[in-house]
Amino acid sequence: MPWESVIPDVLAGGANIAASQAASPPMDNDAFAGFYERSARSLWAYLARTSGDPALADDLMQESFVRFLCAPHPPSQLAEGEVACRRYLFRIATNLLRDHWRRPRPPSIEETPEDFFARNGGSAQADSQMMLLPALRQMHPRERQLLWLAHAEGYSHREIAEVTGLGSASVRLLLFRARRKIARLLGDGERGREL
Amino acid sequence: MMLLTCPREKEVKELVERGQWPQACAPELREHVDGCRSCAELALVTRAFQSARAEAAGAANPGSPGVLWWRAQLSRRNAALERIGRPILGAQIFALATNLLLAVAFVVWQARHGLAWLTWLEQLPQTAALHLDSLWPSDLFGSGLSSVLTPMVMIPALATLALLGGVVVYLASEKQ
Repeated sequence: MPWESVIPDVLAGGANIAASQAASPPMDNDAFAGFYERSARSLWAYLARTSGDPALADDLMQESFVRFLCAPHPPSQLAEGEVACRRYLFRIATNLLRDHWRRPRPPSIEETPEDFFARNGGSAQADSQMMLLPALRQMHPRERQLLWLAHAEGYSHREIAEVTGLGSASVRLLLFRARRKIARLLGDGERGREL
Repeated sequence: MMLLTCPREKEVKELVERGQWPQACAPELREHVDGCRSCAELALVTRAFQSARAEAAGAANPGSPGVLWWRAQLSRRNAALERIGRPILGAQIFALATNLLLAVAFVVWQARHGLAWLTWLEQLPQTAALHLDSLWPSDLFGSGLSSVLTPMVMIPALATLALLGGVVVYLASEKQ
């Protein structure tokens, strides 16, 4: 038996072949561009509103997409569809946010630039933001995540459980409490504006 | 806390998500929501979050996907090369450890048997195999000085050769 056949990958080019095989992403460049166009804005909105920090949202969004492309076993867009890919992406982003919050000295929401909470719109949208954002500031980060995934992204309890890593029953209970809490805060805000 | 939910929540949520609440919904459902705490909370919260989502998505500036694609490719490639290089690094560490062990064993062995090889090295130029005295004129140095200088020339020469050999091997492996 020739020695070359015993260790084929060590021969010239073997390393490059292995590297290129490992570097095959879950979707091709064009498919990724389309997926990015359709998902980036909603992912940024999720990260920005749950973290309260637009600059952090920029960083984590980019990191989420890179990790999605580098993941060892990402869902296939062809086999499992874009919804599964998007859920996987949100899961990565949720984990990144959690890692960020677990760091020794995470920046608090009080350090967020003032203009982030004072966007001018002059519309009904801006009015609702004036009530929602202060209410969100009073919520726990986990509650913000759950509320956003349920009410902004429209995910079911099972999907939220998949994204956050919590149990489905826990999601149901936590979401119920969080919704009650923010509804009270929004109601207070509305009454305050009327007075 | 009791999980009190209303069977009409799904209907309300769909209407809000489609932007049809409250203008485009049946008056009967609106009356129900007015009297149902769970549905009222759901409508209020979902509307606020849908609005926030639209506003935040409009403010997003996602940038080019090409840069991320390139970064991911680079990252995957580096990870793959690192995976491939791991056994080679292990082999290198093993080889270094073996060499160190051999060197230590040699030093111990030499210490036990005395440094006889130094005498041999001093006598080496006078042997028939290496006539190093012929490299320089015999009248330049006295015979006593020559026997001292020869090991002093030999040792740096051998060290330089070993160093150059190492550099050549390193450059060749880097090129590969």
